[in-house]
Amino acid sequence: MFRQLALTLRVGIATEPPRSFPTLPALPLEDVGPRLSAQIQRIFGRSLHIRQVDAGSCNGCELEIGGLAGPHYDVERFGIRFVASPRHADCLLVTGPVTLNMAEALRRTWEATPDPKIVIAAGDCSRDGGIFQGSYAVLGGVAAVVPVDAVIPGCPPSPAALIAGLLDALGRRS
Amino acid sequence: MATSLHVLMALGGLTVGLLGFTGWMGDARALDVPWLVPLSGLSLRMDPLGGFFLLLVGATTVPSSIYAIGYARGARRGLGAYALFVLAMAVVPLAANVPTFLLAWELMALASYALVLTDDRDPAAVRAAWIYAVMTHAGFACLLSGMLLMTAWTGSLTFADWRAAATTLSEPARNLVFVLLALGFAGKAGVIPLHVWLPAAHPAAPSHVSALMSGVMIKLGVMGILRVGLEWLGVGPPWWGVVLMLAGTLSALGGVLYAAVEVDLKRLLAFSSIDNIGIILIAVGAGFVFHSTGLETLAIFALAAAFYHILNHAAFKALLFLGAGAVVHGAGTRDLEAMGGLIKRMPWTSAAFLVGALAIAALPPLNGFVSEWLTFQALLQNGRIPRPELNLVFMLALAGLALTGGLAVACFVRAFGIAFLALPRTEAAAGAQEAGPTMRAAMALLVVACATLALTPTLLLPPLGATAARLLGDAAPSSREDLLTIAVSGDFATLSMPVIAAALGLGLVLPFVLLRVGHAPSRIRYYETWNCGRLLQTSRMEYTATAFASPFRRVFDFLYRPERVVEIEAHGESRFFVRRMVYRNPTRSLVEDWLYAPLLGAVRAGTARVRAIQSGSANLYLIYVLAALLVLLVLA
Repeated sequence: MFRQLALTLRVGIATEPPRSFPTLPALPLEDVGPRLSAQIQRIFGRSLHIRQVDAGSCNGCELEIGGLAGPHYDVERFGIRFVASPRHADCLLVTGPVTLNMAEALRRTWEATPDPKIVIAAGDCSRDGGIFQGSYAVLGGVAAVVPVDAVIPGCPPSPAALIAGLLDALGRRS
Repeated sequence: MATSLHVLMALGGLTVGLLGFTGWMGDARALDVPWLVPLSGLSLRMDPLGGFFLLLVGATTVPSSIYAIGYARGARRGLGAYALFVLAMAVVPLAANVPTFLLAWELMALASYALVLTDDRDPAAVRAAWIYAVMTHAGFACLLSGMLLMTAWTGSLTFADWRAAATTLSEPARNLVFVLLALGFAGKAGVIPLHVWLPAAHPAAPSHVSALMSGVMIKLGVMGILRVGLEWLGVGPPWWGVVLMLAGTLSALGGVLYAAVEVDLKRLLAFSSIDNIGIILIAVGAGFVFHSTGLETLAIFALAAAFYHILNHAAFKALLFLGAGAVVHGAGTRDLEAMGGLIKRMPWTSAAFLVGALAIAALPPLNGFVSEWLTFQALLQNGRIPRPELNLVFMLALAGLALTGGLAVACFVRAFGIAFLALPRTEAAAGAQEAGPTMRAAMALLVVACATLALTPTLLLPPLGATAARLLGDAAPSSREDLLTIAVSGDFATLSMPVIAAALGLGLVLPFVLLRVGHAPSRIRYYETWNCGRLLQTSRMEYTATAFASPFRRVFDFLYRPERVVEIEAHGESRFFVRRMVYRNPTRSLVEDWLYAPLLGAVRAGTARVRAIQSGSANLYLIYVLAALLVLLVLA
């Protein structure tokens, strides 16, 4: 404890003062965002909480999903949050071809997510196994384990594609 | 035989408690038996303070004895010591002269020594009893010398004469007596750094005795401090109170910090007793300071807060010790790491322990909250003292008390969660037996006591204030507002426990009622607890007691100085094939390493020097006798 306090005193204030930024040009995202927000409002009241499940992915999709929460896309402003437990989630965003080892875990995650819930399979692997199709170690697609509401194609799908896919999935939900 | 004695003790406790109650309410009684005790005879006087502590003795003896019927299961060992222990504790608050007091005090110590030694084949118990004997007799030596000095200076063995005579004493003389007596009493109360016997002795004694030792015996040390500083020596200088407040803050923080990392359930409770004695001493010290600066109303308020916490701590600590005893009885271990999942096997004990844990963590609406709130309010009134150095001490005590409160919550979340929740960690815990009917009844009695103490502060505070006022030698302030709310100095702060309890209860029940009334769609789907999708969940994946306490160990490492011991026994062929791995993360006691170890070392070195004159030669010893005789003749 004392070591920490001494360090704090020695280092002092290390942050820089903020600079002013030029105004950014309007991106296509700025159109899609409010529509996404409206759909979320319509179905879930306020926000969409997403639990991401890696069912044997190569992590390419995870990198793109990570980009969603970064400062460029920043989907939190449209009411989307990634949560740490399916108990808090409205939506499961599943990636990967569903390996045999992850199949039961995925099923349990789906069971543990409260109703009503949406399952979105992201990436080509999650649709039909992608390049892993036919391997003895994979089931070949999320639909083999849990009912899927929407599929976002791409290897990997870009953040913009992910947002479009989300909008599509929500829009199809009555 | 054992059962009938425990029934008798319970009835006796009830009688003593009722007697104490009448005394507390102002019924003065006296009993003198001149031939019984040497020098001055046995002399007992009942005053409100004595009555209050007598009530405490009686009221705690009742559940402890009922519990012992099922707990001791007819074992005869320690029966006489138990009866003697309770009897001695009942005499101490009433003793009116030095010989009676010292006799009862020493009897109490000896009886509890015998009780600590109940299991004399356990080396830990033998060592605990030895430490206890040494510490309690060091305290006794302080008391004896202080009381004899006082007797010599005032010329009276009767406590009642001391108050008047004390005003004629010089300042250093009064300070010396205060320091000696306060040291003696603080040792019994378990104030840090005189606490070393407490975490050793309480776990060794049977649980119903631990409940009495922790709930009552250590409070008699506080009673002694109250008597010395406020009654026997009259009004003292402010530094007496300051010392008490600082010692209280140290005990509160040290006690709870050691409790937070302890893995032995009963040792944890013992450390928590040190913490609570600290809280009581903070309030007592505040009362002393207010008294010596002439703020009588505030002194009464602070002392009433201390009395309230004394009552509360007796109720919830006895409850927790009885609960821990039921766990030891049922699961056969005191080690938190070997428990777990007991709530399913022992629902009654778990519920009782939970109530005790909530109360001791000072969470509303239970009783611990009331007295800690009162202590905070008393401390916050320090602005009325126009002396910055005293205000600083109050601020320190306030900060310490706040930190203690937070750590106590963490400590008891850990104690309850690790012991009672999740999966059982051992076979013994999986097959634990629920406590018998008498043990459950005793715990239920204490749960009721906790709830009653929580809901009736408006009824209890006036008599507590009157007791404090009598102790200070003033008239009681007879201000009783409405029955629901306590108000501190006008609009400074108010508290209404019944309203809090009702609001919390309503908040618990209302959602269900509203859902039922509002015909909410009740599509409930039951599914197993979320475990990250694992197929297999075993107790080895659980949070351990040591792991739970790891943040404390890291933040307060200057206090615990933890050691990391990893013993790896590798396979003969390759060191990468581990056969057995042991990981331990023990902590060390600062007080024992830095105070007691050097002290004991010095004593040993000193005695080794002195031994040089004891050569074993009879001729030399005859010369000693002659020399002593000559010296005496010259002096005479």
